[in-house]
Amino acid sequence: MDDFQSGEETAFVVDEVTNIIKEAVEGSIGGNAYQHNKVNQWTSSVVEQCLNQLTKLSKPFKYIVTCVIMQKNGAGLHTASSCYWDNQTDGSCTVRWENKTMYCIVSVFGLAI
Amino acid sequence: MADRKAELERKKARLEQMRRERKEKELSKTRNVGDDSKTSVKSSGSDASGAEPDDILREFGISPAPEGSPATPKKAAAQSQAVKEVEVPTSVSHTTPRKVRLSVAKVNETSIPPRENVSYSKETQTIIADPVDKDARGPWDYYDDDNDLDFIENLEGSSSHAHQFRGHGHSHGHGHTHKMPHVEMVAPATTSEEQNKEHKKPVPELSEEEKKQILMSEGFQKFFDHSSRIVERALAEEVDIFADYSGKDSGGKDDEAMAGERLKVNRDFYDDKWSKHRIITSLDWSAQHPELLLSSYGSNEDATNVPDGVALIWNIKYKKDTPEYVFHCQSPVMSSCFAKFHPNLVLGGTYSGQIVLWDNRVNKRTPVQRTPLSASAHTHPVYCITVVGTQNAHNLISVSNDGKLCSWSLDMLSQPQDSMELQHKQSKSVAATCSSFLSGDANNFIVGSEECLVYSASRHGSKAGINEAYDAHQGPITAIDTHRVPGQIDFSPYFLSSSFDWTVKLWSIKEQKYLCSFEDNSDYVSDVQWSPTNPALFSSVDIMGRLDLWHLNHETEVPTASVVVDTNVALNKLRWHQTGHHIGVGDDMGRIYIYDVAENIANPKADEWSKFVRTLQEMKQQATEREEDSTLLGSAAPIR
Repeated sequence: MDDFQSGEETAFVVDEVTNIIKEAVEGSIGGNAYQHNKVNQWTSSVVEQCLNQLTKLSKPFKYIVTCVIMQKNGAGLHTASSCYWDNQTDGSCTVRWENKTMYCIVSVFGLAI
Repeated sequence: MADRKAELERKKARLEQMRRERKEKELSKTRNVGDDSKTSVKSSGSDASGAEPDDILREFGISPAPEGSPATPKKAAAQSQAVKEVEVPTSVSHTTPRKVRLSVAKVNETSIPPRENVSYSKETQTIIADPVDKDARGPWDYYDDDNDLDFIENLEGSSSHAHQFRGHGHSHGHGHTHKMPHVEMVAPATTSEEQNKEHKKPVPELSEEEKKQILMSEGFQKFFDHSSRIVERALAEEVDIFADYSGKDSGGKDDEAMAGERLKVNRDFYDDKWSKHRIITSLDWSAQHPELLLSSYGSNEDATNVPDGVALIWNIKYKKDTPEYVFHCQSPVMSSCFAKFHPNLVLGGTYSGQIVLWDNRVNKRTPVQRTPLSASAHTHPVYCITVVGTQNAHNLISVSNDGKLCSWSLDMLSQPQDSMELQHKQSKSVAATCSSFLSGDANNFIVGSEECLVYSASRHGSKAGINEAYDAHQGPITAIDTHRVPGQIDFSPYFLSSSFDWTVKLWSIKEQKYLCSFEDNSDYVSDVQWSPTNPALFSSVDIMGRLDLWHLNHETEVPTASVVVDTNVALNKLRWHQTGHHIGVGDDMGRIYIYDVAENIANPKADEWSKFVRTLQEMKQQATEREEDSTLLGSAAPIR
């Protein structure tokens, strides 16, 4: 009972975080086409928005947010990550978003305090 | 219940004590802080005495400040308390150790596949005329240390500057240790010719076998045969630039003065390889191509490896002096003729009795068809072959030396259609040496034999075989020729015969006795033939090299024109050209002479025929007188 309760309160909820990320990305680069001079701003804003929303959750978590924006040029991209943590409490979430001209991959790692 | 309440109250009391203690501590701290703040405020207030609103503000600020100052410590205390309160529960929570189980999480992978580039490319390859230079360098090779030397050497052309560069190149090449583009003086420009020399690879040499193979291939042979003819003709052609059509040079054509011009050598045919030392055994002109002359040759006793029988076709139209076609077979060819109705076929009768057929369409020099050497065909030399009949119904008639006459179909030489023994009285075979069919007649013919007799014979009919014998010659008959000049008057019963008895005799088949004897020759007369165009003209050759032209309307005692070909040769055969303007004469050394007959003699005049009739009548008269003389001689004393 305690664990379950603690899980509810202090566990990484993937769906919730996924929604936060999606909103952040949509908000930042929603209908834009890839522009090299603006990509810097976009990545920063995505990360900041994500983080703000996550902290608003007021959960006892440490968050790590990464954002990758890649222009659609026909190249391939491959990333992988692995973590050594407490699987019960900690978790990660990766969202892959794309439009006609670019890919955006946002990863959030949440580590329970 | 009471215990619990008591415990709770004790805990509360303890908590309150702890709180008070902390408060006191903090109050003491904050007082110090507050005094400091007061003093600072006052000092600041004393400084700014001038400004009233400032004073008021400060007073407000100060007034609330002292209020604040005691308040702030409170607040601070409260805050600290709050913090402490907060801290307390947290510290309380921290005091209980939390179990932390760490483990490796699942690997997160993100992958974006590359775009599949569908590309379409079409390449064309030009035909490489010259193979690519082996030493061609790519752009990356110049950075390679080892190749520096070769690169420099390639730059050099065949110019004299090359040697200087070699020296440079060596030093530079060895000096380079780092891979950098090699910078050097530019080589002098080489012309495209020199470059071509460099880059041209040697044409691959064919081995002997390959060359032979190509030479033997059928396509090459055909091409070579065809084109070599054309080239030969072209090379031999000479144009006479002095042709004068006004006839000034030649003067008036006078019969007497132009006696020497009546027979003039046009050219001669002789092939060193094929006709040397061979006796010419027969001549024949082609009916379809009047410029082609067929000549057959006997064996060459001097040479051993050459075939015994040779037949050559010569061309008088072109000046080339090699035969158009060369045919040979294994036995000496005794007689030959063009197949009259087949322009491509050449027939030859050989010493062995075999009749051979050559075809000039195939690229073969040997016969395409041969008659069998069996008793059904001939076993003796075939001295006479002729093609008689018409286009659709013709036969090859051959008479061999044993008196056998065979008729053949040209399609099938494997067996004769018909054969007949020519026998004269008491089954005595005729040793035929020559024959001639009557003009326009495929049935009746004249045969001359070695027994000095001339026979008339027929192939079919009730009188098949030998009919008449004409006895006058004292030597074997060498040639027979029947008259065949077409005209209003038909002289076909008349024929000529020549023999070893130095005479030529004119006969009519209706008469047992000859009409006229021409005895101007002083040696064997080897051949005689009527002119094909002039009814009163015939020609004869003898083995002293003499060619005679007899024009009976002019002279019957001596030849109208006579020319000696060469004292050393014996003329064996003669043949008039269809036009009557040329005579082909063959000797026993393999040489053929073509003589031009002067036109005033060769061409018959309008009254030639009637004159000839009169001539013949005169001859007849003389003949009868002769007969009477001889009978009288035989019987009684001569009339004087």
